[in-house]
Amino acid sequence: MLKVRSPQDLGAGVLFVLIGLAGVYFGQDLAFGSARRMGPGYFPVIISYMIICMGLIVTVRAFRVDGPAMEKFRLRPILMLVLALAVFGFLIAQLGVIISSFLMVGIAAYARYEKVNIVETIVFAIAVSAFMVLVFVYGLNQPMPLWWKS
Amino acid sequence: MEVIEHLATGFVAAASLQNLLFCLIGVFLGTLIGVLPGIGPIPTLALLLPVTFGLDPLTGLIMLAGIYYGAQYGGSTTSILVNMPGEASSVVTCIEGHQMAKRGRAGAALATAACGSFFAGCVGTIFIAAFGPPLAAIAQQFTSPDYFSLMVLGLVMAVVLAHGSVLKAITMVLVGLLLGLVGTDLATGHTRYTFGIGGLWEGIDFLPLVLGLFGIVEIIRNLENPPPARDTISTRLRDLWPTKEEFRLAWPAALRGTGIGSILGILPGGGAVLASFASYTVEKKLTKRPHVFGNGAIEGVAGPESANNAAAQTSFIPLLTLGIPSNPVMAIMMGAMIIQGIQPGSAVMTARPELFWGMIASMWIGNLMLVILNLPLLGIWVRLLSVPYRFLYPAILLFCAVGVYSTSTEPFMMVLLIVFTVFGYILFKFGCEPAPLVLGFILGPLMEQNLRRSMQLSRGDPMIFFDRPISLTLLILAALVILLVISPQLRRKREEAFQEE
Repeated sequence: MLKVRSPQDLGAGVLFVLIGLAGVYFGQDLAFGSARRMGPGYFPVIISYMIICMGLIVTVRAFRVDGPAMEKFRLRPILMLVLALAVFGFLIAQLGVIISSFLMVGIAAYARYEKVNIVETIVFAIAVSAFMVLVFVYGLNQPMPLWWKS
Repeated sequence: MEVIEHLATGFVAAASLQNLLFCLIGVFLGTLIGVLPGIGPIPTLALLLPVTFGLDPLTGLIMLAGIYYGAQYGGSTTSILVNMPGEASSVVTCIEGHQMAKRGRAGAALATAACGSFFAGCVGTIFIAAFGPPLAAIAQQFTSPDYFSLMVLGLVMAVVLAHGSVLKAITMVLVGLLLGLVGTDLATGHTRYTFGIGGLWEGIDFLPLVLGLFGIVEIIRNLENPPPARDTISTRLRDLWPTKEEFRLAWPAALRGTGIGSILGILPGGGAVLASFASYTVEKKLTKRPHVFGNGAIEGVAGPESANNAAAQTSFIPLLTLGIPSNPVMAIMMGAMIIQGIQPGSAVMTARPELFWGMIASMWIGNLMLVILNLPLLGIWVRLLSVPYRFLYPAILLFCAVGVYSTSTEPFMMVLLIVFTVFGYILFKFGCEPAPLVLGFILGPLMEQNLRRSMQLSRGDPMIFFDRPISLTLLILAALVILLVISPQLRRKREEAFQEE
């Protein structure tokens, strides 16, 4: 009977194997060459095979050695933060750094599991956006559009 | 007295008004971010990296070094006052320092940490000045096979020091190596793993990788499992100074810690974490009053704090002389140097002495500033600890995003940041430490280059790694280290097997 004794290791092992397989698969078009004249594919493909081997070992161990349980995936923080990053990245070129910063801080506020005070968040978002603009645009002279393109 | 001459060159370069100013800003910012609980030197450096890009190389590096020391110093302040280590190297400080704080000796603990660190910093600086040039001379005899073996040793050591499973750490190094190879192969001009994305031609950008894996994942961790309420201990400045008795106990410990740290810092894979643990163990062994350990022994603050600062200094040696980062923090420094157009290695010392010695001199200046700055500003740092996390994390997130955007306005950089955030999150859930990956990432192209050259030299015969004495020695060391790590695990495994019967 196979019983998962270390869920974390099982996940890690499978992830590693997948990464290794991807390395081999996408590296197959690269010339491998020989040890004497290493092609562009030589080193990465060898590394990928090593990753697969290690991944398999980790996977097998997951059934034989006890390990900590996996923490639950609690999706709200990561989803909201990724959304905040995406909105910022998407809009900064169009709307400028001020509005996108404001939106980002606003969205990020909803990443935590507590009730959000909207007024406080808006005030805070304005303050932080202003601070960033002062530091990066005026302090460090980074080229960034302040507002939207007219 | 060449050393003094060199240091004089350095002080002249470092003591320009601009450099002093940015050293001060670096130390200040580093402490500021480092004090925030749960943020260690790696994310701090990564966060503040973009701030240094607009500066000229020496100023930028001086500022970064200042950020690093500041972050470390800030971390120990948090450990002592809040019992919350920013990173592994201040775990030990937590043990004794926080106990001291509970007994009302927080001021003494902080002052001891600051003075111990400063003393260790001075010794570390002299150490680099004295040992840098001879090591660089040795480094010039290094050929490709030697470099390759040195990197193998460095990676092995990094694996050993990572928390948790050694197997997973090894694999993380390998994954890092693979990620480091993405982009154009410089030797053949082929693009690899770019999937036709122009943004990947020059390789995966360092900043989104580090900020994603360390900065943003850290936020997510804190949001998923809010840290328990902190019992901040407020200090009054008047009991800042250690008593005579405390001083008598602290200074030999600081001395020993400095020695241990200076030596362990040089080793590839060594660094602040190893040094502080080693020093703590030594102090615990040597003490005449073992019952105090665990209840606020000042030796347990003085020793490890000195050790981690000394190691933080001397771990620059492998980077500056051999061009090989010995730990993830140095990997970030190396990334910064490359972004500034400097290829770290023995050539820096000869080709750009003012840069090399200026940076070393600035380390001493930075340490001095830390002492002067931090003891009076303690009140501010303590107050900073009471800023609620709901204000901190959106600001950190925005800082990451603006930082990435300011290095490249390419929208693809944001995509990379998101990808590495998600990747880092999954790794965290699977219990994989990201630090070895970063080291592998930095070393990937270098390893390939040296492997390729070695193989060309030997016409494809791998024996070249065993024929050269330097390379052979390094490989034997690496093998020994692996054996050392595996053996206690084997023993424990056997014990477990016995228990099951």
